[in-house]
Amino acid sequence: MALPRQSKYALAVLVLSHGMVLFAGFFSPYDPAVQNRELPFAPPVRIHFFDSQNRLHIRPFVYRLVASAASYAHYEEDRSRLYPLRFFVAGGRLLGVDNPAKIFLIGTDAYGRDQFSRFLYGGRISLLAGLCATAVSLGLGIILGAVAGFYGRWLDELIMRTAEIFLVLPSLYLLFAVRAVLPLHIAPSGVFLLLMAVIGAVGWARPARLIRGVILSAKERDFVLAARGFGASDLYLLRRHILPQASSVVLSQAAVLIPAYILAEVILSFFGLGVAEPSASWGNLLASLRQYNVLESYWWMLLPALALIPVFLAYNTVLSYYKCYSAGPARQTEFDKVL
Amino acid sequence: MEDGWQLAGQNCWSAAVLEALHVSKSYTQGRWYSRKKFSIAALNDVSLKIDTCSTLALIGESGAGKSTLGRCLSGLETPDSGEVRFEGRNLFTLPPKDVRAIRRKIQFVFQDAAAALNPRFSACDAIEEPLLIQNMLPRKERRRRTLETMEQVGLSIQSAPRSILEFSGGQRQRLAIARALVLKPRLLVLDEGLSSLDFDTQARLTHLLLDLRVRFELSYLFITHDLRLAARMADHIAVMQRGAIVECGKADALFAKPQHPYTQSLLQATPG
Amino acid sequence: MPLNYLARRLLNSALLLFGASVLTFLLVDLAPGEFFDEMRVNPRISTSTIASLRSEYGLNLPMPVRYWRWLRSVAKGDGGFSFAYDSPAAPILWRRAQNTLLLTVPATLLAWLIAIPFGVWSAAKSARWPDALAAITISTLLAIPELILALLLLVFAVRTRLFPAGGAVSLDFSGMPLWSKSEDLARHLFLPVLCLAAGLLPLLLSHVRASMKEVLGSPFIGAAAAHGISQRRLLFRHALPAAANPLISLFGFSLGILLSSSLIVEGVFGWPGLGQLLIESILQRDFYLAVDAVVLAAGFLICGNLLADVLLYWADPRIRAT
Repeated sequence: MALPRQSKYALAVLVLSHGMVLFAGFFSPYDPAVQNRELPFAPPVRIHFFDSQNRLHIRPFVYRLVASAASYAHYEEDRSRLYPLRFFVAGGRLLGVDNPAKIFLIGTDAYGRDQFSRFLYGGRISLLAGLCATAVSLGLGIILGAVAGFYGRWLDELIMRTAEIFLVLPSLYLLFAVRAVLPLHIAPSGVFLLLMAVIGAVGWARPARLIRGVILSAKERDFVLAARGFGASDLYLLRRHILPQASSVVLSQAAVLIPAYILAEVILSFFGLGVAEPSASWGNLLASLRQYNVLESYWWMLLPALALIPVFLAYNTVLSYYKCYSAGPARQTEFDKVL
Repeated sequence: MEDGWQLAGQNCWSAAVLEALHVSKSYTQGRWYSRKKFSIAALNDVSLKIDTCSTLALIGESGAGKSTLGRCLSGLETPDSGEVRFEGRNLFTLPPKDVRAIRRKIQFVFQDAAAALNPRFSACDAIEEPLLIQNMLPRKERRRRTLETMEQVGLSIQSAPRSILEFSGGQRQRLAIARALVLKPRLLVLDEGLSSLDFDTQARLTHLLLDLRVRFELSYLFITHDLRLAARMADHIAVMQRGAIVECGKADALFAKPQHPYTQSLLQATPG
Repeated sequence: MPLNYLARRLLNSALLLFGASVLTFLLVDLAPGEFFDEMRVNPRISTSTIASLRSEYGLNLPMPVRYWRWLRSVAKGDGGFSFAYDSPAAPILWRRAQNTLLLTVPATLLAWLIAIPFGVWSAAKSARWPDALAAITISTLLAIPELILALLLLVFAVRTRLFPAGGAVSLDFSGMPLWSKSEDLARHLFLPVLCLAAGLLPLLLSHVRASMKEVLGSPFIGAAAAHGISQRRLLFRHALPAAANPLISLFGFSLGILLSSSLIVEGVFGWPGLGQLLIESILQRDFYLAVDAVVLAAGFLICGNLLADVLLYWADPRIRAT
């Protein structure tokens, strides 16, 4: 399948990011829960090729960070000893350095936890949350949309009116109202997934409306009538003829909903209503940015936020490409111009 | 349980296989809860009879209600009033368990074959589908009968696994007819089923249908505006105008001496 | 008849609002825990005190009864009772709602003021750099989630100290003269409004652009151009009104997004608006306040849609004919 350049990059970004998150145990140098109390808010490690005598080392190395006694979270490099970067270290990790040096690729937080590791492990929960909520949303949407579209009349009216009521509440307001349904502090993350399922359930309305539309037009088609003429049952018609017509709508809705629900988790956790400490998630990584001193002094805490941008951009690109693609080959050339 | 065609024998020329009695249908537009509706009368007190082993051609201009009548007679649509009796039993008041068996015996070929076949299916799937739905025959048997029927309509078996989209218009029409034949029905309703075909294919299919009818207990209802086709195929003719039957009778007699002015005008309009 | 259409839309909207209130009430009612849970934990407050407090506030009544009482309270103008603020909910709501409007209205205006000229221009210069610029703007802004954009702006404020880092007013606001007051408010407003407008812009811009492109491709524009009408007149007097229809519907549709985005912006910048109120009341289990906040937000959405319907009706003669 010939893909335009942008969507190739986008797919690559998605595969890369999801892959790294999936294999977080391999790609992250440390366990996300391990605290280094003596190194709070350590900046990202500096990787050197030239030592203090300006000699080149082929293998990059780091210096150990020593906390300055004078002030909080001020560090200096101890240049007395080099710690070369090690690959494929014991414990099944890709990257590492010998103790007591640390390789904090994007620094540490207030408890000295490696942000990079927390970002990768946290991504698991965030992505899983997004997938879980999307699955529930689509599942409910398909069932209710199919029932409304296929059986019509008062059932259709009832379901669509209810959908309208759900849709009239602004999405984030609804999100928070639903969030209130479960207790304030949720641990462990298993229960959080339950929360995401509930959130997904509440988001049934938009997919249901779209699917209902497809079903309405599909059920009038002649081949459905023909199958009915052979004595097909309703269930058979839905399964074999009608629902497959909705497949492209379902796919494009998935591409919209997954990033939306990931974002929902991020927002909830940011405001302290999502994944609880000490578990990491993308949202509660950003939560530290609510403190003034963090914003002011520790710029690397912003990096997880910036890292999310390419992921969402990739999802958007894939979505617009899919929309153009499913609209037919004529529109595919437009895609290059659209972006 | 009857499965397949009975050889043509004494049953032919004896009873009517299908009878329509005072069938009326109108289409209404409007929401289910509002009172004002807008209605169009499609069928107005139509009665006709199709004999066993015979062909009835339903002719008339477009919009006369031929398709609607065809669908009602096949059980695809429900008339507002009147009865449709198949083998003596009212189609629309059958107990649920008999509906399926009866459905097997009346088959409908749509006018637009392309729309009547699910584009996502392969040719083999499409023709096999009725057998699947009716839960007849083990799988090997189904396959065999599907391919057999394909051959009968003149499509090569090699093309069986291909998607419907890869077939031409004429071929799709043949697929639709094959699909209708695969259940070996007693009555086949063709809604302009042969009109869009080229001369060769049309000739071959009319030959096939005539042949089948001679050998087995099979009846046809031909809905067409092509009078020549009707003349060739039909034993009886019914003429429809604006939802009602204006004239009905044996083909030769009708063509020789049309009684109703509308029939006369129709025949005059046709060359040869 | 125009009245008939409007009356139907009004009735529909009222029913929707009613339905939304029931739904919200149900949802928030399902929440475990209530305002008095904290008190329960405190050993010095006896259970009988809590019980009497609960019956005073009617918390031990079944849900339909409580809903009915809430409805009556709303009709009276109180909007239920806030436990945290120890007062009727309505005054708190109005103040917060005003703050939200103070944020959202300028943001909407700003977004439309940029989207329309930019969109028209890029559609007119299709396949040249203005169009490409528009496309890039859209996809870039679309990719940055509102939350992150807000955080970036906040970092900017903190680092450069050009703008205050959140809040609506400075500490010594009440003591300032009028001129300083407005300046202070404006400085506090700037970044949140910018953030909100930037979040809304890609949606508006892409629709203006798409709508204009479609209109510009139609024959009557070609005919008008052949008459020798000037480019600007052509675009704004002929093309834009024809392209306006979907944009008016877009206005209604964008309100939901606007309210949701403003919730985030209020949360990040500490702007004391309706969204912020919702978060607080959920954290404090202030039941009626939470319900009110959500229903009020839904009310804004419904009003906005109604407004869009009226505008559409007035602008498009084809709708009047049905």
